[in-house]
Amino acid sequence: MSFIPADYVIPLLLFVPAVSGVLAWAINVKGIRELLGLIGGITPLAVIALAYNTVLNGPINYTLDARVFTLTFHLSTLTWYFAAVAALVASAMVFGMVSTSGSGYDWMFTLMSVTGVLGVFVANDFIAFFLFWELMTFASFMMVLKRNRHASLKYFVLSIIGAYSMILAIAMIYAKTGALDFAGVRQGMYLLTATHRISNAYVDTIYVLFLVAFGVKAGVWPLHVWAPDAYSETDQSYTTFFSGALSKAGVYGFLLLYLLIGVSLYQAIGTFHGHIGFAYIMAWLGAITVVVASFLAVLQEDIRKLFAYSSIGQVGYIILAFGLGTGLGFAGGLFHVLSHAVFKGLFWLVTAAIILRTGKTEFKDLGGLAEKMPYTFAMALIAVLSLAGIPPMAGFASKWLIYEAAISAHMPLVAGAIFLGSALAFAYVVRFLYAVWFGQRPSDLEDVQEAPLPLLVGMTILAIPNIVFGIAPGLVANYINKIFETDIVGGNYYKLTTPSGTYNALTVTLLLIVGLAIAGLVYLYGARARKIPVTDTYQSGNPVTNEFNLTIRKNFYLPLKEALGSWLKVSFDRFYERLANLFEDFGDWLREGFYNGNVQSYAWYLAIILLVLALWGVL
Amino acid sequence: MISVYYFGAISLVLIGLYAVLVKKNLLKILIGLDIMESGVNLLIVSIGYINGKSAPILSEGIGPSQAVDPIPQALVLTAIVIGVATTALALSAAIIVYEKYGTLNIEEIRRLRG
Repeated sequence: MSFIPADYVIPLLLFVPAVSGVLAWAINVKGIRELLGLIGGITPLAVIALAYNTVLNGPINYTLDARVFTLTFHLSTLTWYFAAVAALVASAMVFGMVSTSGSGYDWMFTLMSVTGVLGVFVANDFIAFFLFWELMTFASFMMVLKRNRHASLKYFVLSIIGAYSMILAIAMIYAKTGALDFAGVRQGMYLLTATHRISNAYVDTIYVLFLVAFGVKAGVWPLHVWAPDAYSETDQSYTTFFSGALSKAGVYGFLLLYLLIGVSLYQAIGTFHGHIGFAYIMAWLGAITVVVASFLAVLQEDIRKLFAYSSIGQVGYIILAFGLGTGLGFAGGLFHVLSHAVFKGLFWLVTAAIILRTGKTEFKDLGGLAEKMPYTFAMALIAVLSLAGIPPMAGFASKWLIYEAAISAHMPLVAGAIFLGSALAFAYVVRFLYAVWFGQRPSDLEDVQEAPLPLLVGMTILAIPNIVFGIAPGLVANYINKIFETDIVGGNYYKLTTPSGTYNALTVTLLLIVGLAIAGLVYLYGARARKIPVTDTYQSGNPVTNEFNLTIRKNFYLPLKEALGSWLKVSFDRFYERLANLFEDFGDWLREGFYNGNVQSYAWYLAIILLVLALWGVL
Repeated sequence: MISVYYFGAISLVLIGLYAVLVKKNLLKILIGLDIMESGVNLLIVSIGYINGKSAPILSEGIGPSQAVDPIPQALVLTAIVIGVATTALALSAAIIVYEKYGTLNIEEIRRLRG
């Protein structure tokens, strides 16, 4: 049974956000603008929900004849999952945008990027894929450009490098197979590999080009440098979508590598210590991303930067999980796509609320907001628990699956990277929790109010899946089993079973509730509460010296920073800046050396060129 | 064996070019340009020359087959006029440059500009 005819699903999904965005920009009247934005943001979620049963019975195909090209789209069980995650985040984001943004410009490009991301997910040929990919890049670039030129330029240059890499790789595939649609590419590459008509170096080149293209968007080390700036220098409600859904386009690209050219890559790169070679590279890229980004996140003093680095690290988990190359790895990665989207989206909406109400972004200016913004605090707590991987939240279930996958794939070092990343994640969210919500409140934050209603609605939309999929992770696991058409993760709604372990979310939840109840009783009847001054933090009993006065709000992780000192000197951001400066200096040198304003030297150039041409036989 | 006309004309162009590339005095550069121009004109005229033919003016006893090529001559007439015009313009510019900077050395002029 379906509520809308299958033919209308994909056009509605793609055109409603873009059209309502353009209308919101054109009309630009307060009220109507927001209404159009809400329509554009919520329609995809409604459409995707209504298409659920249809998709389970068989994929929905759609063809758009654009005169020059024929664009084909495809809503299968896999693409439905990604599109559903994006649509969920988009619907929460538009509620946040109602509160934080008051311009038609924002609405237009926000909704344009929604269309772009959904188009990337449902595209079924490389032309549609590339077009929507560029639409999404362009729209997100415009969103950053309005606030910060430098950040947007960095994002743009790296995106362009990625886009050129992708189009080169597509051209190389097309040159060999003559196909651009996904089915044709898959078949063509398989045939070429089976008959050894494609060289290993050729496939390797395609692999590297795709790694660059998808790596930029997903923020994989060392191509992550754009993300901290771009995520923090834009409307924070928009970042919900930017970091929650747009980065998943890169992740989806990594999955496409398996689906389209996996066999050729396996043939070309072979195996390494019993692991699939090309996947092994992905796993390590993911692991390095997790560790580097998590360390950097711990050291940030700005909320936005902290979550930007944390977002990079969490996407690293997904790449790592896909890189394990086992069914369990894919299941864990796909689950984490959902849970990262919902908890990181929630974090950015909370950040948007904090910035909207206080105007502050640094930890040192914040504190004690839990009493002033209780509902936002509750939402932040859910996000913190989910990101840190504390049951019963969605973040725990997905991370648990990734651990299980890494252990059963026999990759101890990679599993270690996840453990390290998780510990660091705990370190930075705890700091966020304490520095922003607890402790002494600065005197200028006395009249802070609760976040506006639309923003709260947006947070609630994202908080519900965090809890629901945390207590009933089987809901997601069952769907992932349907994608792969085998039972990768067993169990029922509340229980996940893998070959090496079982996780029963319901039991954990009940135990947690009992534990909290006991703790509450102890607090009420047993303990005497004592007020603690804000500087009374950890020092292992040592007196606090002036230069080592680390409160949770300022330089809390300074010892870690000092310990990492020599490593922090190695920065890819600075490396790229230096490379850019080098190019600029070279350009200056060329210009000043040759274009020197001396007529006689121009005469010399002319004479020399004429002489060369004469010797060459042209004249 | 290269014709003496060609050799002479190309030598004039090269002498002019030498002056333009190397001399520092603005007037000398202009003289170099003039010499180049004369060389080019000579070269064009000598391209049209056919040994033993007379001027291309149709009169008694001289038909199209007895005359040298008239097209280069028409070209050179145009080129001479253009050359004179550009020289006049350049010379007036040189006067203004001298009035403004008090020197005709092109390196001095460049330094003063910056």
